[in-house]
Amino acid sequence: MVNSDDLAQLIIGCKSGDSKCFSQIVDMYASRCYGYFYRLTGNKDLSDELLSELFVKLVEKIASYKGGSFEGWLFRVASNIFHDYLRSKQRRKKMLDVHKVQIESEITEPKKSGNEQFDLLEIQLKRMDADTRELIMLRFYSQLSFKEIAKMRSEPIGTTLAKLHRGLKKLRELMQ
Amino acid sequence: MNSQNDDNLKELFERFLSSEQAQSSVEDIQKGEQILREHPAPEPDNMLIANIKAEIAMRLPVKRTNVFMKTAYRAAYAAAAIMIIAAVSLSLFDKNPGESGPIPYSSIMPTAIWESDDIATDDADLAIFTIEIEQIEDELRSLQSGEGIRNGDSSLSELEMELVAINNDFWKE
Repeated sequence: MVNSDDLAQLIIGCKSGDSKCFSQIVDMYASRCYGYFYRLTGNKDLSDELLSELFVKLVEKIASYKGGSFEGWLFRVASNIFHDYLRSKQRRKKMLDVHKVQIESEITEPKKSGNEQFDLLEIQLKRMDADTRELIMLRFYSQLSFKEIAKMRSEPIGTTLAKLHRGLKKLRELMQ
Repeated sequence: MNSQNDDNLKELFERFLSSEQAQSSVEDIQKGEQILREHPAPEPDNMLIANIKAEIAMRLPVKRTNVFMKTAYRAAYAAAAIMIIAAVSLSLFDKNPGESGPIPYSSIMPTAIWESDDIATDDADLAIFTIEIEQIEDELRSLQSGEGIRNGDSSLSELEMELVAINNDFWKE
């Protein structure tokens, strides 16, 4: 966990266009953000793409970061990128529905690349609803407080707590 | 992955649940998160990280150029707007004298004086004109008071002629 003063210095460096500061931010957050994308998409190539997009967005949007929790801000950008991906996937699915093309299943359920294997957790996560899955991953990888997560999701903190509790309890049952 | 807010979790649940239920909920969450820790997601490739860093480095100068270009465009837009406003204003000012013609009250002043830039000469003309008017006034006053009546009608006629002559001279200039 990086010291908040050091992080503030890095962010100042990023705002002034220092590539070394950006590199350090990438080193600090790439793993967690990648895990977040991977657990939501279940696809390595797609996660690679989304992670690249996240850090490109970071360069473009760093000037709009006005303080507060940097992790909260970064994961909000990550969440937006994931939702944009979902929307584009929906559009593609609709187009495929119209044309009744066989490859629909390949897009809705991406195949593993190379020697990637489905792990048990991923299989069980796919059985959960998308919103709960995203909440669990947001909490686990962003390490944000429930208050911050509730604010990000624009819902009462009690709702966030209840959803996460139900979701993790269900995941535990599924995994047993 | 340990949450930095675990300490407050029970307290948070106790806002909505009884102490026992809160404790149970915290345990459910901790066990669920333990499963996530036991099944870590793959790490991003080093190659991917290197590519991301290279792309960031590549985009930074572009971003700076974009900022410069944006500033230049803004300055150009502002300059264009100022020039348009200036052109429109000038055309309006140019049109006004032509459209409205001579200002009405200029007719009470001789054109020569009105358009003249020689203030000293104009003042001298006005001074002479004023003196002549004053002389006529004096003569009229003396005629009205009956002083120096020699031939009333001819004197009045002379004064009128003199006044007309002065008036003509004045407007000729």
